[in-house]
Amino acid sequence: MNPIHKFFLNQHKHFQPGRPLARLAPFFESMERVFFGPGTVTGQSPHPRDSLSVQRYMMLVILMLLPCLFFGMYNVGLQAFKAAGQPPSFWPMLLFGAKTVLPLVIISYLFGFGWEIVFSAIRKHPISEGVFVTSMLFPLILPPTTPWWQAALGISFGVVIGKEVFGGTGRNFLNPALTGRAFLYFAYPVQMSGDAVWTAVYKTGVQAVDAVSAATPLAVIPATPAGGMAEKTLAAAGYDLGTLFLGFYPDSIGASSTLLCLIGAVVLILLGVASYRIIVGDILGILAMGYLLNLLAGPDSAPYYSLNPWYHLLVGGSAFGIAFMTTDPVSAPHTHGARYVYGFLIGILTVLIRVFNPAYPEGIMLAILFMNVFAPLLDQVAVGLQVRRRIPNV
Amino acid sequence: MVGAPADAVNRLPDPDRIALLPDRIPHIKPRLLVAEGDPVAIGAPLFEDKRDERFKFLSPAGGTVQRIQFGPRRSVKAIVIARARGEEGEIRFPLLDEQGLAAMERAQLIHRILEGGLWWVLRALPFRDLPDPERVPPMILVGLAAKEPFLPSPSVYLKDQAALLGFGLKVLGKLTAGPVVLFSDARSRAELGPAGAMLTHVVEGAYPSDDPGAVLYHIKRNAAENHAWFVSGADLLLLAQLLRQGRCPTRRIVAVGGAAAPVRQHYDVRLGAPLAQLADPGRLTGTERWIVGGLLRGYASSAEGFMGLYETSLNIVPADEAPDFMALFNPGWGRPSYSRTFLSRLNPQPLVYGCKLHGDRRACIACLHCANVCPVRMLPHMVYKAILAEEVEEYLQLGLLDCVECGLCAYVCPSKIELSQTFIAARRAYAREQAHKRE
Ligand code: SF4
Ligand code: SF4
Repeated sequence: MNPIHKFFLNQHKHFQPGRPLARLAPFFESMERVFFGPGTVTGQSPHPRDSLSVQRYMMLVILMLLPCLFFGMYNVGLQAFKAAGQPPSFWPMLLFGAKTVLPLVIISYLFGFGWEIVFSAIRKHPISEGVFVTSMLFPLILPPTTPWWQAALGISFGVVIGKEVFGGTGRNFLNPALTGRAFLYFAYPVQMSGDAVWTAVYKTGVQAVDAVSAATPLAVIPATPAGGMAEKTLAAAGYDLGTLFLGFYPDSIGASSTLLCLIGAVVLILLGVASYRIIVGDILGILAMGYLLNLLAGPDSAPYYSLNPWYHLLVGGSAFGIAFMTTDPVSAPHTHGARYVYGFLIGILTVLIRVFNPAYPEGIMLAILFMNVFAPLLDQVAVGLQVRRRIPNV
Repeated sequence: MVGAPADAVNRLPDPDRIALLPDRIPHIKPRLLVAEGDPVAIGAPLFEDKRDERFKFLSPAGGTVQRIQFGPRRSVKAIVIARARGEEGEIRFPLLDEQGLAAMERAQLIHRILEGGLWWVLRALPFRDLPDPERVPPMILVGLAAKEPFLPSPSVYLKDQAALLGFGLKVLGKLTAGPVVLFSDARSRAELGPAGAMLTHVVEGAYPSDDPGAVLYHIKRNAAENHAWFVSGADLLLLAQLLRQGRCPTRRIVAVGGAAAPVRQHYDVRLGAPLAQLADPGRLTGTERWIVGGLLRGYASSAEGFMGLYETSLNIVPADEAPDFMALFNPGWGRPSYSRTFLSRLNPQPLVYGCKLHGDRRACIACLHCANVCPVRMLPHMVYKAILAEEVEEYLQLGLLDCVECGLCAYVCPSKIELSQTFIAARRAYAREQAHKRE
């Protein structure tokens, strides 16, 4: 027999009802699932069942997030070296980035999964695999300089308040990773916004600085002089189209590369894991609002008005939000039709928040949370329309 | 999909024991009319429905009642008859020819069917219960195709039976004020020959497009048609046989399929035949699952079981109980899935379907697979929530009564929620409640 299987079989007895570890049975199950699919068979019709499990569904999302994580490590290192005036070299940068990023990821998993275990033991629900995705998403949307204790606090808030108080996965209507992020944003604005948080400090020993100030593209745009072109300002700050698309600029850890998000989105759509309806809605919403503002732009209006709409897709974590956050199926509407509208409205709101409320440049984060709240309402409308199309059968 | 039965038909000899399984007939409340040890002839009543004593169920064999098996709460699981050696006693019924049928009143015809013990072949939507004989249905649906894996192929059981089928359709024409809709898929139209020419409706798409409820959902124009009746093509042949020949039908064509079945083909067997006659248990390992009926709707039985009255197939599939090592990371070349998360999407070979759950029970993650596959465009995930919350108004509005109990939603659900079973239970409960109200 497979030795790993033997190990799990041997340990299984400790988690049986009545044994000291019985309450941790969901934890045991989730660990076992890493290695083994369940041997359970159906008790009733339909006798065969689909090979797809929730575990696999979630695992695929995590898989597509890994490139963002590795790129994030590299980019954090790159930006820090740039700021410190060090010559860029691949391995030291990656190592530095990993040293900055991995602790945040580990903290996120420890606390996210930890809370899940606690709640699964108390409320006797199984470990929801969603938490593995949440714990991966969360660090990727943090600034690299986030203090560890804040990361711990944020993920705890996200999992506990964003999810568990509503009854756990499936009943939560907010995206837990974003809830945690938004909490930090409002509770600790100093560490979460401004120009100084997006670049990790690479200490070279001699001229140790406390913080490196490098504006993100979102912050650069409003600084465009009146009548100037926002795109030009961006380019002048070193953020030309290619840089923005590839993601070599200071930003949240894993959210900067539009290219990797695009790949992730395409793969997830092809696999049928992400809803293309939401993504199409998002993109159309952003472009439509962007064009509308272009039309309204005058010489005195804020620079955001005249920004080429496509740029909205490249900056401020839009791509990451679109690919991985809006497509969270639980916090999105639960009908196909409403998902288009949901995406479209998120797109519109994202642009509007960026333009009209420069205090919150992270438009997409707030837009998604806001629409999470309204998703049930959209569903109600969609279901109402569907019911009206049916020939009643009561 | 591995396991399709071949078209060959083997006529099997009369078995020693034959059974009728009352608790496999949905909705009815059986009242026994025989006791263990009683002699019975073919066509002698074995039990009736307490709800309507005209609904009689007649013995498919002559001999003695050997055993009556009871289930929980005194439900009658099986009435087993030891068949008499040699000639079995038989009760004859009046004959009916075309002219006789044409001249007959509807009430008389119904009386004949009730007396002949074959009222059960007719069922009324939406609950799939035996219909009320006093009610005139707006439409009768007759389905020939067999898209659920694996049922007898229409080209096999209808071979040389076109005349009988035509007679059956005329009988149905007498029963309804509306149309008799005979449907099958385009392929069987070509294969069926003269019977194919009688089709009035062609269905497209995979299972369960051939379910009468799914067909009705697509062709109905108003709410009154929700109460249409339906008969399966194979059952209609039994009905026509009874009226035409005045004898209780005792045989039907049964398909044996499934990845683990030793011999996969069609058989001509007695109604209520023992399953061991259809598949030799000696050629199996003993862990396989015996499914009477199709893979998605049938019920689990064993080598000791019998064919149910409505069932026309036996599927034997591997139970597949060993946990899969690294299931999570298996690219899945041979793993059947509705989703696109397995390489089996690109695999042209037939796949083996076992009985493994392939996952654990989880909360709904709103993947909407269930809504995508539902043939009557319900939103199963929402109906499920409404049922748990006991929001009767809401789940009826969402179309619970349109549900054809096909099981696809539960098949695709990655959270392994028992959607279809929940719907079936809720529909039965609602049907009981409605019946109570009427009384
Ligand atoms: S709800 Fe499920 S069982 Fe009912 S018709 Fe739809 S897919 Fe089939
Ligand atoms: S298939 Fe299952 S998990 Fe997916 S939406 Fe339907 S009920 Fe929810």
